[in-house]
Amino acid sequence: MKKKILSIIVALTVCLSCAFTAYAAEIPDSRLLPRLVDDADLLSDSEEGKLLATLDEISERQNCDVVVVTVDTIGDNTATEFADDFYDYNGYGAGKNRDGILLLISMADRDWAISTCGYGITAFTDAGQAYMVEQFKPALSDGDYYEAFDEYAALCDDFLTQAKNGKPYDNGNLPKEFPYVGLIICIGASIGVAFLVVNGMKNKLKSVRTKTDADAYVRQGSMRIAQNRDIFLYRTVNRTKRSTESNSGSSHSSGSSTHSSSSGTTHGGSSGKF
Amino acid sequence: MSSVQEFTCPCCAGAIEFDISSQKMKCPYCGTEFEMDSLKGYDECLKQDGQDEMNWQIPSGQWSEDEASGMRTYVCNSCGGEIMGDSTSAAADCPYCGNHVVMTNQFKGSLRPDYVIPFKLDKEAAKEALKKHLCGKRLLPKVFKNENHIDEIKGIYVPFWLFDADADAHIRYRATKLRRWSDSNYNYTETSFYTLERGGNIAFDNIPVDGSSKMADDLMESLEPFDTSQAVDFSTAYLAGYLADKYDVTAQESIGRANKRVKSSTEDAFRRTTNGYTSVTPEATTIRLSNGKAKYALYPVWILNTSWRGKKYTFAMNGQTGKFVGDLPLDKAAYKKWLIALSSAFGVISSALLLLLYYLL
Repeated sequence: MKKKILSIIVALTVCLSCAFTAYAAEIPDSRLLPRLVDDADLLSDSEEGKLLATLDEISERQNCDVVVVTVDTIGDNTATEFADDFYDYNGYGAGKNRDGILLLISMADRDWAISTCGYGITAFTDAGQAYMVEQFKPALSDGDYYEAFDEYAALCDDFLTQAKNGKPYDNGNLPKEFPYVGLIICIGASIGVAFLVVNGMKNKLKSVRTKTDADAYVRQGSMRIAQNRDIFLYRTVNRTKRSTESNSGSSHSSGSSTHSSSSGTTHGGSSGKF
Repeated sequence: MSSVQEFTCPCCAGAIEFDISSQKMKCPYCGTEFEMDSLKGYDECLKQDGQDEMNWQIPSGQWSEDEASGMRTYVCNSCGGEIMGDSTSAAADCPYCGNHVVMTNQFKGSLRPDYVIPFKLDKEAAKEALKKHLCGKRLLPKVFKNENHIDEIKGIYVPFWLFDADADAHIRYRATKLRRWSDSNYNYTETSFYTLERGGNIAFDNIPVDGSSKMADDLMESLEPFDTSQAVDFSTAYLAGYLADKYDVTAQESIGRANKRVKSSTEDAFRRTTNGYTSVTPEATTIRLSNGKAKYALYPVWILNTSWRGKKYTFAMNGQTGKFVGDLPLDKAAYKKWLIALSSAFGVISSALLLLLYYLL
């Protein structure tokens, strides 16, 4: 009987420990972190509270984690490795595919990295990420971190919504920017054209002009050409460097490129300096 | 004995030397290289530059005793204007300033006109032309049309010097050709410089120069052209009922104006014989006139003076062709209003189109 009880206890223990290991292959509770980790302390407490609330709201509504992480240093890792590992290790991601996106800021070398996973890879294409970074990087560079993260969160929300409509933002399908420049050109050109028209009206008032030629008094057929010689003298060649600037959007091929993190999880992402 | 020939650089005017390494003529100052043939041609061309010779024969027709006795001269004591008319036309007011004129008893010589173009259009036509002149001008102050009143309409024979000449021209133009291309790294602009030599003859007939200092030159030039084929030999009969201005700018004094116009037209005419160049500018023009002859003619002009808000506006109509000229006042408020209205209209339309495209695409 005693043996039987013991064996049951052993079996239970084994079962439990198995279950525990199985769960540990997921992530232990102690390692689960909130969607905002401000280790570099770039935000004030109230900003942290507001941003976290925003990230949580978006993540839960979209069913896809939107995460911001700031650190002082990433050690010897590349920003992408650090971001991927941080994502995997701390159990971010919604659902069995661990859907989510993480923005990492490291202050030591002013690195940024985006790591996407699961549905995040689909929603945030390479071109899409480049577009997002273009939007919030100026604020990052200026040190307006809250503003940058808030913009990032809003963009993620927009991108996820767009992806759920079946057509993620991608090359040739990026969010349209409001045509401020076009509007300014329109207004400038309008004033220019109006000026020309009105000056045309003004010129109608003037009909007295000095004549500087006598074209009307050339005797018909009187012109004879006796000398007619064109002499080439010399030539000069100027060269100017061609601007190699090409549209940044077109440098990305469509879709998302992916790689495997150290734990073997598939991630998408991009990185750079701010 | 060999003569040393020196060439000046067409690019910087420095003295050119033979460059051994390139086996070409090279300017040591600006570094430009030349073919020997180009330099020779250029040098020959430079030697042809010379002084203008623009001499004219001045008219010297005199009044006959009979004609002179039938003529009257009037002098305006206010502005000094001097007009003439035959004994039948009683001039009372000065056509320039509107003050009374005084008849001087004896008609003083001066020159007898060679030709006259008789009036073809009458006073009514001039009035109509003024009305038309005021139409369709949006920036003309509205009240101008109603408030202005024609002080006087006068038909005046305006003295003109007509210049005929055969011009023998030698013109050197500096011309450039541009060629652009690019490779993967650079955009290139190649400028080729040429000297173009053109020489030949061109003749001018009846270039008019206003011989009255009372008539603004630009106003008279704006009335051109007059059709000189309808000019007839002068006879005092044509003056009946009209006034004639007496020239007070001599032919000699008017020559400068004629020369300028001859020169500019000659340069233009020969420039039109060049083609394929990006730019052609005359560098040296030598014009020699032969058979240069000035004639004295009277051209018919209707003068309309009107005053508005203390300012005098003078209009003139070609009494032969009906061409009507005269500057009009500008309504500054209307100018601003139109500018703002059109700017806004164009701005709204173009912005709306832009936004439409933005939201549709």
